[in-house]
Amino acid sequence: MRAFRGVPGEMTVDFGQGESIAVYGDNGTGKSTIADALEWYFTGEIELLNHEGRQHAVRYVGGDDGEVTSVEVFTNGSLGGKVVFPDERSAEAYHAMGRETFLLRGRTLADFINKTKTEKWKALVEILGLDAIESLREDLQRVRNELRKESKAAEEQVQSYRRAIGPAGEAVTHETLLANLQQICGMLNVDPPQSLDQVVDPSWLTAAVGASVAGSEPSERERFLTEFKTLNTPALDASTLEGWNALVTSERAQLLPRASLVREAKRLFETRSIDGRCPLCGQSVDGRQLARRIESALVDMMEASRELERFREPLAQGVEELAAAYKKRESLYTRAPAMGLELPPVPSPPRSALHASIEALAPLDIKAIAGYLSELGKWDRAASKVSRAASPTGPSTRDTQLVMLAAICQQVRNWRMAEQKAARALRASTLADRVFERYQAKQKEDLAGLLKQISGRVAHIYARLHPDEDLAAVSIEPWTAKGVELAIEFHGSRQRPPHGVLSESHLNSLAIALFLAMAEEFNEQLGFLLLDDVINSFDVEHRGRLAELLADEFSDWQLIVLTHDQQFFEHLCRRAPSWRKLEFTSWSYLSGPRTARYATSGILAAARDRLESGDVHGAAAKARRGLEELLQEVCEALRAPLPFRRGQANDKREMAELFKGVRRTLKERAKGLLESIEPLLKNLEADVGATLNVEIHGGGHRSAASEVAVALKRIEALDGQWSCPQCRTRVWHRGTPEAARCKCGQTAFPPIPVGQ
Amino acid sequence: MHRPGAHEFLLALLEAMEDLPPDFSRRFVEILKKEDVDRPQAIRQLFEDFGGE
Repeated sequence: MRAFRGVPGEMTVDFGQGESIAVYGDNGTGKSTIADALEWYFTGEIELLNHEGRQHAVRYVGGDDGEVTSVEVFTNGSLGGKVVFPDERSAEAYHAMGRETFLLRGRTLADFINKTKTEKWKALVEILGLDAIESLREDLQRVRNELRKESKAAEEQVQSYRRAIGPAGEAVTHETLLANLQQICGMLNVDPPQSLDQVVDPSWLTAAVGASVAGSEPSERERFLTEFKTLNTPALDASTLEGWNALVTSERAQLLPRASLVREAKRLFETRSIDGRCPLCGQSVDGRQLARRIESALVDMMEASRELERFREPLAQGVEELAAAYKKRESLYTRAPAMGLELPPVPSPPRSALHASIEALAPLDIKAIAGYLSELGKWDRAASKVSRAASPTGPSTRDTQLVMLAAICQQVRNWRMAEQKAARALRASTLADRVFERYQAKQKEDLAGLLKQISGRVAHIYARLHPDEDLAAVSIEPWTAKGVELAIEFHGSRQRPPHGVLSESHLNSLAIALFLAMAEEFNEQLGFLLLDDVINSFDVEHRGRLAELLADEFSDWQLIVLTHDQQFFEHLCRRAPSWRKLEFTSWSYLSGPRTARYATSGILAAARDRLESGDVHGAAAKARRGLEELLQEVCEALRAPLPFRRGQANDKREMAELFKGVRRTLKERAKGLLESIEPLLKNLEADVGATLNVEIHGGGHRSAASEVAVALKRIEALDGQWSCPQCRTRVWHRGTPEAARCKCGQTAFPPIPVGQ
Repeated sequence: MHRPGAHEFLLALLEAMEDLPPDFSRRFVEILKKEDVDRPQAIRQLFEDFGGE
């Protein structure tokens, strides 16, 4: 393990050649790190962290960003390998292995024993190694419930639209609604829909109404009323009237009736000599003067005639307009009763009087004309009032009905869309229901079959743990409408659930029996089982029985048994003397788990590696840890006289205490050795204060690589004092602390003087 | 003795179920094969897709 969970650097657990191992350590010493590492390697996750969404806690919390978290497993087969965080293996890489039962934790047992029915069920499937199937069932159940809820909500929405469209909140049927729509369309001269699906299409209403509007004609009455809007009271130009009157009353205009006489006189003067006498009356006249007078009168007449024509034309047009206006109003007046309207009589125009005046070149009666126009204006206003009263205010009834039709169509559209959505939701929900129900049924069937298969073995294992109790078989039975429950044959009667008759420790035994039997029956690839603190509810006697059971009946398996219980550990050591043993003694943030097995050389090698890779800080930390490990190993091996410490506090001794212990031991039993290494010890004490300790505690001073290299060399020199240069074993490999030797016997303690 | 995982369990279940929409089983099994997928969401989408047909 490297930078994994509570392991800051690297930690190796040696399982030998597939041997079983009993691992002992108090709570918090890091022994469960082994279970975490194997679970992560073989399943791709640590379930406890996964439940809490803390998969990132796979990494050592104090690790540098660049530090790689990894777990490497060595086997004699094909299952070994290395996993690095973040785990990017494909699920298939560990899929088959993860399906096998290999790990039973105390907390799973606690769930099986104490928790609610749901949690017990989850614990049971976990014990049986069926977590993946159960996890998929949970996903299916969640989806099924969501779809059910949505289907229900969609149906409520449909009913809501249905009630909204019906009369007074009553639900309406498709048929009734279609018939109503067809009726409304008929009234509006709109092509009726043939189905509600047609109505749902927004383009239908637009097309249908558009067609009906294009083909529809306004009614006769509507046209009649529209005519009033075109009425304009005529007006005659006062300047024209006044100009006419001024002209026809002028002297020039008086000559106009005698125009032919004047023209004849002019012709006579031009053709005959008058000799001082008038050719008509014979009176004496001045011919020239008479000619000038005739010429002048003729010019005046011609001017008057031109002016007369200029006025006559607009006057004649005005008279015609008056006549037309009268005619139009008279027509309206005549037709009004047929339309249900009553109009005042139309005042008659002074048309003949006007014509006569114009023909006679007489002045017009301007006052009379103005009076008539005023009367006509009054009539127009009265007629408009009558027509407005008869016209509908605002949009027509048809417009209003069309708006209502559009609103109904929109409601139909909403309803039908809600119906379609509800139908889809119902289909999805029904399908999810079917799959989920079948899944759950199959899961129960399979579980029942599986338990039937292992029932005998479970009963046997249980009997080994509780020999005086008659538990004959284990099975699964339906429990309430939905669930299942574990049942046992207990003293000849069926008990369901077993929690009713079994105590906590008995349930603990039952769960262990289920786990072991499952592994025996179904494991194909994994030949090891890991039990992490599984005897919490056991008394001393049952701990002994479990140790015996494991040693006797699972000798073909590689068992890894982690426990914080010293008695159980000792039971295992006695019952299974061939097993490996490993003790976790302490854990600290900086050092991680510490075992009873010293690893000085490994730690010093790691320090050297870090120094060579440029990690001066890491090298200093490792070097200090290596020195500490070495001094502890020496103190323990040589039984150095150190002050008594309660519990596991020996691991927490200050470095100065360890130096003191080594010196006192050497002073009493190897004074010469002490004298030879005293300079080395002093230098090392200085290194701890100046080079190694500062790094550990994160002070402002940073050691140079050369300083750490020197310190590391001194530690390695001290380490060399306690190892045989021939066989590389410690000088206390065999013998007693008072007279020890290395494995080959060449090196001893106390040191043998040269020449002996 | 062989113990099926979730994938095989589901496959056996779907094969035994009649009247499932065509292609439903294949798509369901595909979901289990995928990593980095919100499985409940993917399953839900599957049911909705086939419910809409």
